[in-house]
Amino acid sequence: MAAVNLSPPLHLLSARLRSSLGKVGNMDAIEVRQLTKDFGNTQALRGASFSVREHEIFGLIGPNGAGKTTALRILSTLISASSGKAQVFGFDVARQPEKVREILSYLPEDAGAYQMLSGLEFLEFMAGFYSKDRAEMKRIVDEGRKISGLGERLSDRVNGYSKGMKRRLLIARALMMKPRLAILDEPTSGLDVIQSFHVRNMIREYADTQGVTVLLSSHNMLEVEYLCGYVALIDGGVIIAEGTPEALKERYGGKNLEDVFMEVTKSE
Amino acid sequence: MSNLWALIVKEVKELVRDPKILIGVVLMPIIIFPIMGAAIQVSQESVERAIMGASFAVYTDDKGFVTEALLGYLYTNNTVVPIEAGSLEEALIAFKATDSSALIYIPRGYHANVTLGQRGVLLVYANLRNLNMAETQSTNVVTSLINVYNYYFSITKIRNLLEQTSSVGTPEAVRSPIGIRYASILKGNVLDVSPNAIFSLVMGQSIMLPIMVMMMVVFAIQMAATSIALEKEQKTLETLMTLPVSRFTILAGKLSGSIVIALAGSVSYLIGFGFYINSAFSFVPEVTTMNIDDVGIGITPLGLALVGVVIFVTLVSALAMALSVAVFADSVRSAQSFTGALITPIMIPAIVLMFSDIEMLPQSFQWIMLAIPYTHTIIATKAAFLANYAVVVRSILFISVWTVVVLYVAAKIFSTERIITARFTFGDLGKRLRLRRHAS
Repeated sequence: MAAVNLSPPLHLLSARLRSSLGKVGNMDAIEVRQLTKDFGNTQALRGASFSVREHEIFGLIGPNGAGKTTALRILSTLISASSGKAQVFGFDVARQPEKVREILSYLPEDAGAYQMLSGLEFLEFMAGFYSKDRAEMKRIVDEGRKISGLGERLSDRVNGYSKGMKRRLLIARALMMKPRLAILDEPTSGLDVIQSFHVRNMIREYADTQGVTVLLSSHNMLEVEYLCGYVALIDGGVIIAEGTPEALKERYGGKNLEDVFMEVTKSE
Repeated sequence: MSNLWALIVKEVKELVRDPKILIGVVLMPIIIFPIMGAAIQVSQESVERAIMGASFAVYTDDKGFVTEALLGYLYTNNTVVPIEAGSLEEALIAFKATDSSALIYIPRGYHANVTLGQRGVLLVYANLRNLNMAETQSTNVVTSLINVYNYYFSITKIRNLLEQTSSVGTPEAVRSPIGIRYASILKGNVLDVSPNAIFSLVMGQSIMLPIMVMMMVVFAIQMAATSIALEKEQKTLETLMTLPVSRFTILAGKLSGSIVIALAGSVSYLIGFGFYINSAFSFVPEVTTMNIDDVGIGITPLGLALVGVVIFVTLVSALAMALSVAVFADSVRSAQSFTGALITPIMIPAIVLMFSDIEMLPQSFQWIMLAIPYTHTIIATKAAFLANYAVVVRSILFISVWTVVVLYVAAKIFSTERIITARFTFGDLGKRLRLRRHAS
């Protein structure tokens, strides 16, 4: 695919479309400009640009190897970009990683939890990094307990959890401290229909009630359509289209985002 | 609760609750060593019983009062099976049919030689049915018996000769004119103890302690490497790296957690090994009859404190090295393969210096050994026993410099994205080598 960069005009278009969305704030939670990342001879990102508004659930969608995880890892301060700019609530991820880590929560794809700890110990361990005292830690853990919905099973060790239970624990871990930004990489990857349904509901409910900004990636376009108020399609390391799911479907004449994606990649 | 404390507690919980670590590092030494000691003791005692109760066969082709006297001595001291046969061949066939483990053959002319002042020669045949220790040792018992007889026989003959020639002196002095008594100079003190006895006494501590330190380092390396590889495999490391905590604190937490378990493992090892030494070597007389304090070679509190510092800096550097290397592994299994490469330079000094000193080695080999930081761990622990504190401090300084270098490298790796993106397998190495060969 030719490396045509469509991002700047799409971004301007998206700003107009988004201003009509009710809950979304006016401030940019994330701003990514001309981001590139090289791993030796492989170019994972080739000038990707997009922005995420405060309180928005933003979906970054694309096939495997499109550059989704690389973009999320750069925003989470795990790896650095080869060039370009990435900011989280005004903090530069390369120059102010400590500031960024204080306000974000990142859930890697296929992440696990410490096998020998109980679910509760895991939540307590994680909460400790975000709390000044025991009372605050307890508040965070109680929140995590509520989000996970694991009840008594939280006292069991993680190595006895099913995949779905682990994912619920990890989502609870990512959201319990009410981060300003939650970055979730393939949050339902590997889960069955029922488990995926629960996880999706957890994310949606929490984002709606707590006003957490969520950036999630997925190659499941139907899931993104259900969850996200705004999406960006990424392929070959560049953003090839973005907008609300409805606007994209209308623009490209697709029944769903999958059709849209196929249509966009065909025209590329 | 500080972030570092939380990380250490998490690390210790993860390690101690892992049955492989708990059983392998903490419980096994305390169970296995006493069992090994008891097994060695049982086997040693059974060998001794077998030797003591072993019967010997005797066949003689000779006659005369000298031969009769020897037979009389043998018959009174042991369960001797006399063999009646027409020839040596027949006697050997008959001997093989008995339970006896050795045959003492008195050849024709023994009596005549002895009475003519010549040497009488006996032949001892050992029947090695199962090639076990008791069978091979049985000839030693025969030799000791004959030697006792030989001694008193020669003393009697010398006494007679002295009387006949009216010479002065004692038969013992004529038989062995020069005697040796041993003394050892240790830490400037002269001790009426043979160096062999002192060696037996200190072996358990001055040699086994460095070995135990090295074992502990090996445990710690394996634990740390497995722990970081597991974190990478389960992607908990990625989560950890995005938390509001410094990368150095994460590194320090990992190091401290592994050190805590390694120390617990070494205490268990120490206790288990103590049982092992006590039970397995209870039959070695030097160990039981001498006290280390009597000869003034115990370690002083200062020496012990310095050994503690040596252990600490060695552990920190080895663990930092393990963590730095293991982050390049793509799985727990490959992390364990990588640590194999680290363990080799640690074990070589321990093995080489177990029974020798660095000064005894060839010059070039000495330099190679001294360049390995872990050689200094062994040198320092040995020197602490002999109260050579200057050597201990010099070694500590050397290892500390190495520790700072390794910690710096580990902190660098932890502060960059390499900790997340680095992947290296032995397959990659093969591929790279093949590519280079094609290119050339």
